[in-house]
Amino acid sequence: MATVADRLGLSKAQLGDFYDLEPLYAPEEKLIRDSVREFVKAEILPHIGEWWQEGYFPPELPKKFGELGVLGATLPEEYGGLGASYTAYGLINREIEYGDAGMRSFVSVQSSLVMYPLYTYGSEALRQKWLPRLATGEVIGCFGLTEPDAGSDPGSMQTRVKKVGNNYVINGVKRWITSGSRAQVAIIWAKSEDDGKVHGFALDTSTPGFKAVDIKTKASMRASVTSELYLDEVVVTETDKLNVVGLKGALSCLNQARFGIAWGVLGAGFYCLEEAAAYAEDRPIFGVPLASKQMIQMRLADMLADLTKGSLLAFQLAKLKEQGKDTPPRVSLAKRDNVRAALQAARAARDILGGNGITTEYGAIRHMLNLETVATYEGTDTVHTLILGRTITGHNAF
Amino acid sequence: MKIISIIKQVPDAEARIRATASGIDLEGVTFVIDGMDEYGVEQSLRLRETGLDAELISIALGPKRFEEAIRTSLAMGSDRAIHIETDEALDPITQAKVLANIIKEEGAELVFVGGKEADWDSAALGPAVAEALGWPHSDWTTKLVVSGSSLSVTHDSDEGSETLTLPLPAVVTTQQGLNEPRYPTLPNIMKAKRKELKKLALSDVGSPSGKTQLLRQEIQTKSRLNKVLTGDAAEAAKELARLLHEEAKVI
Repeated sequence: MATVADRLGLSKAQLGDFYDLEPLYAPEEKLIRDSVREFVKAEILPHIGEWWQEGYFPPELPKKFGELGVLGATLPEEYGGLGASYTAYGLINREIEYGDAGMRSFVSVQSSLVMYPLYTYGSEALRQKWLPRLATGEVIGCFGLTEPDAGSDPGSMQTRVKKVGNNYVINGVKRWITSGSRAQVAIIWAKSEDDGKVHGFALDTSTPGFKAVDIKTKASMRASVTSELYLDEVVVTETDKLNVVGLKGALSCLNQARFGIAWGVLGAGFYCLEEAAAYAEDRPIFGVPLASKQMIQMRLADMLADLTKGSLLAFQLAKLKEQGKDTPPRVSLAKRDNVRAALQAARAARDILGGNGITTEYGAIRHMLNLETVATYEGTDTVHTLILGRTITGHNAF
Repeated sequence: MKIISIIKQVPDAEARIRATASGIDLEGVTFVIDGMDEYGVEQSLRLRETGLDAELISIALGPKRFEEAIRTSLAMGSDRAIHIETDEALDPITQAKVLANIIKEEGAELVFVGGKEADWDSAALGPAVAEALGWPHSDWTTKLVVSGSSLSVTHDSDEGSETLTLPLPAVVTTQQGLNEPRYPTLPNIMKAKRKELKKLALSDVGSPSGKTQLLRQEIQTKSRLNKVLTGDAAEAAKELARLLHEEAKVI
């Protein structure tokens, strides 16, 4: 079956590269992309439909990701990272989400929401305690900011921390936490009863009073673990405290993760385009291929156009990030619009696939449902729109 | 022991290649390390991983773009690389002479070459390298064990497969089935950036004159006879056998 890449005269190595960004990648960035692609082809694609259907996240996968080297790839080698560029990190996310957004979420959370704050705000002791084992996948991390009643307004969090002697005591509930019940280390954000400000802690999940319960009723991200965390008089030490005061600590992590999402969703989107184009060629209707119909072609053209524009956006965002110019509004624009492009592509693909499009034998509905989560987490579409609106007008409309 | 893998960079088997009246248009084509050369690199890595004390060197003879294929081999695990950079289109015999000079200079004892590299599909380079060195060689190799100063190999022959023992130094050309090449892990890709990639000009390795000259290229066309045999199956089979024997002379 001819793939869309064939038809575009592109090899698979140039998947999603209609505007020829290939010569702009460094040699090692291309090698990294190709290796992650091979990994996804061998380790994820053959099983993901079943994992998703069963609500199963393979326990051996974190170590496999660790061996491949994708966890904390941008951190220095001395902490188990690769010292890779953000372009490479973007490509890693895109290739993994070509497989599944849940798999990419695991890598994003581990890298951007756990390893990044430990590296950026952790003491040397805290870095050494967790980073090398997080890089190998031996240890899993999670990030607790969102609460049942505090999502887009994290400042209204109810989780509290209080200094007691030389230690801190945390009480509260966190919800929608990726990898929560599998994690050995949790980055927990809590409001201080002492100074009224938000502080972050890297707590060992075996600490008494910590409990994680999985959310089992998801119709999205089914191959990813999502949990609720209960913190009941959890005691943490001064060394477990991150060296940052206020919400900006947590928000800086989100800026990292949102960057990864802006790249990641392109993988899901291009998977859907490829699948829909191949299906439309193969499926006869009124005696001719579905692909020969104008309505189908229009939708495929829209998918290619939106995803190509998204690829250029993501690429330039990586270049900006490498120069420290990835301002939150720039990241918001890319996260918002690339998720929109991918979600629309997935919905169109699901529709083009007709009845087959509702089964997990094809990827479209799985990607489509996953992307509903991606559109919601890490800043909803609305939140990013308001960030951009505030950037243009100067008025805060939250 | 030094083990050398000869590397070529060829169009990706999944790429769409455009043939024009004047030859192959490589514009916009993705290039990769030759798949059969990759078997050689992988085998050298496996020999070392199973206890052989060896330095692994990748050597490539070709244009600047070959560098990417060399980097792939370094990322897989080769220790260092030599790139003899030239834009000249050299025939396999001439390439072999150039390569033999550098193989001798390095003092290598085992050389891997892709069984049939996807550039000209000639399967000639490996045997030609062995000839230029005066070394024994095993072609189409599917299994290989080094013991002391000899090599035990299983290779495909016209009648099936043979198992042979060769003294080292020797040249081995690869065949599908020898191994399943690994994809480089990300840490190894980053480490490869710091590995030595020595650049040489053709004149540094004794610029020999080519045996052949490329005059023009055209697309090979195969015409079919379009003969359909009718009648009952037994009759048709007899007729088919007769045609294959007497007219096509293939059986």
